[in-house]
Amino acid sequence: MSHTVLVCDDAIFMRTMISDILTQAGFEVVGEAETGMQAVEKYNQLKPDLVTMDIVMPDMGGIDAVREICRDNPEAKILMCSAMGQQALVVEAIQAGAKDFVVKPFQPSRVLEAVQRVLG
Amino acid sequence: MDLSKYAALFLAESREHLGACNRLLLEWERDPSAREPVDGLFRAIHTVKGMAGTMGYGRLADLAHRAEHLLDSLRSGRVGATAATVDLLLRAVDQLERGVEIAAADGDAQFDAGDLGDVLTAAADDPAAAARQVGKKGRWAQASPEVAAPVRDVGRVVQVEVRAGAIMRGARAFLALRRAEAFGAVSGVVPPPAAFESDSFDGRFSFRLESEASDADIVDAIRAAGEIEAVTIGADVMTTAEWQVPSAATGGAAARAQAAARSGQVRVDRRRLDALMNQVGELVVARNRLLELAQAEPGGELEALGTRISRLVSDLQSEIIQARMTPVWQVFDRFPRAVRDLARQLGKQVRFEMEGEGIELDRAILDEIGDPLLHVLRNAVDHGIESPEERVAAGKPAEGRVTLSATRERSSVAIRISDDGRGIDRAAILAKAKREGAAAADLETVSDDLLLKIIARPGFTTAEQLSSVSGRGVGIDVVLTRVRAHGGTVEIATEPGQGTSFTLRLPITLAILRALLARVGGERYLLPLSYVAETVEYDTQPVTAFQGREALVLRDQVIPTVHLRELLGVAPSELPPRRPGLVLEVGDRRSAVVVDALLGQQEVVVEPFEAPRGTPPLFSGATILADGSPALILDAAALV
Repeated sequence: MSHTVLVCDDAIFMRTMISDILTQAGFEVVGEAETGMQAVEKYNQLKPDLVTMDIVMPDMGGIDAVREICRDNPEAKILMCSAMGQQALVVEAIQAGAKDFVVKPFQPSRVLEAVQRVLG
Repeated sequence: MDLSKYAALFLAESREHLGACNRLLLEWERDPSAREPVDGLFRAIHTVKGMAGTMGYGRLADLAHRAEHLLDSLRSGRVGATAATVDLLLRAVDQLERGVEIAAADGDAQFDAGDLGDVLTAAADDPAAAARQVGKKGRWAQASPEVAAPVRDVGRVVQVEVRAGAIMRGARAFLALRRAEAFGAVSGVVPPPAAFESDSFDGRFSFRLESEASDADIVDAIRAAGEIEAVTIGADVMTTAEWQVPSAATGGAAARAQAAARSGQVRVDRRRLDALMNQVGELVVARNRLLELAQAEPGGELEALGTRISRLVSDLQSEIIQARMTPVWQVFDRFPRAVRDLARQLGKQVRFEMEGEGIELDRAILDEIGDPLLHVLRNAVDHGIESPEERVAAGKPAEGRVTLSATRERSSVAIRISDDGRGIDRAAILAKAKREGAAAADLETVSDDLLLKIIARPGFTTAEQLSSVSGRGVGIDVVLTRVRAHGGTVEIATEPGQGTSFTLRLPITLAILRALLARVGGERYLLPLSYVAETVEYDTQPVTAFQGREALVLRDQVIPTVHLRELLGVAPSELPPRRPGLVLEVGDRRSAVVVDALLGQQEVVVEPFEAPRGTPPLFSGATILADGSPALILDAAALV
């Protein structure tokens, strides 16, 4: 059975692209969220195998969402999607419980490598 | 990966974000103490940057990055904001808007924002602010304890080297550390993790790990953090400092609990909706034909089926119309910025207000009226609003007002642009119209209607000097043509010294028109139902005269009559004295249109209509009737 994924990003562009990359690699994108709040809600509802999480989002950013999700689900596998120059935020996200990160602009191979590492 | 299929999505979403930037900047300009606009701007620019980078638009991403950097400095209080900062950011948004269009068309190689990028960076890294910045540590460093914990010489020493080309080596190193922690207590990290983020971090670090696990398992686990060049265990390393992994930072998680419940939505290419709408239009015509056929056999199975299909088609039609409805703010959004810039450029003080932004119109209409509205707004600021000195001299407040409002009326939406400026100079318009032979030489006064007709003539302008703003001769006629093409009307009211208001009335949806079918002579014509107030019986007897025109009296109101036969040049013939009349109502103007016979109501699909030369200017479109024959649609505004 393919792994299920929840894609969180406030830009539909990014969501589409990440979904395409993952879908083509055989993953099943079961949900999308455009705010941190939605990410938390959908995580609890869908319990996906993997979450991709943008850092900067309205209504609770990605880091707070990671914290929220990991508090109740320490085993959650969350991959942060970061932009260049956000190292401090990525580190904060890892502290909060994120398992790995990829840096935009995305290269599909890098994304898939990171996903494999997270699912380990 | 082929990115071209994302270009349209990139463009649409970037436009949306940059539009929001304009709005936020104006909001911030009005209230410099507000924080939300800056946060919103940061997010929007950040998103554009991410998208541009992914699309490979390096130049665009760089400019967005610099703007974002400035916003971040503003947000964190590293630099203060002035009016010049807002201007600078507005310029940046302009350039980004230009850039996304260029980039989406054929890459951003042609995009050049001049020195704007450097100016943004300079503003973000103001030297006075930079001094403060030196002492400031990153978020993460602040969270870590400043005091070194005692050294514990326990466990194995692990050395890790992150690959040289890896992105964010510091974060990667941190991830490796987390993996190691899964095996046991980590201590004596060198350099301290706080330094991982620094530019001088070369990717090499070491620590002590207290664990029962095998070397191989630890190496594998750390390598699994990704981008790891080498992991060695056991070698002796210097332990000059001690550091412990801080516990996860708390606080800040207090939810900003304003969920924008926008889930459950999808984006659809508008061409799809247009195609769907056209199909439904055709379906409506086919249904009408079916109902006609069914009527031939009353009570038959065909009639029952016809009724059922008819209801289904109606439901489908209203669903699709609903799907196409868009709030007017989506078009209004760009106006505050345009008005502000224009007022500045002209040295005028203008307070611009918008009302009824939530009113909805068919997306296709909305897209069409954006430019006409902007044109009227420009006229209001350029010709309507006086200079502050002139206003004060006239006893008005120095700041002029321009209001744009949308209100729902019957089955149309009225969009009104009003200003409290000088009003239109009737004398000047009249003089010019006479010179050009557009008005009779003996005309003394100009009614509002006539005024509109004069200024609506193609190429008419009274601007003495052509400014870059208005008066290029692309005048009100453009507005009028576009609005009428959609079955709408335009009205003007102006009062010297008090101001001018333009009212555009638009049907809520296009494509499908509910109309009354009337016969005049041997032809059939359609009148848009949205303008028909009622039908009356015209009788030659009680007709009266009003201001030299024939009129009929309806409940104490005098309504001028219009004989379509005369207007259409149909030869007179023997007609019964009693004939149907349609009372049309456009704004506050009314007339009673007399026809030979009324044939009932129909829903028709409006087809674009190119009037042949010599056609009287009475028609707004054409259509195919249920029985397959063509008919013209009368322009209500031309008949009242």
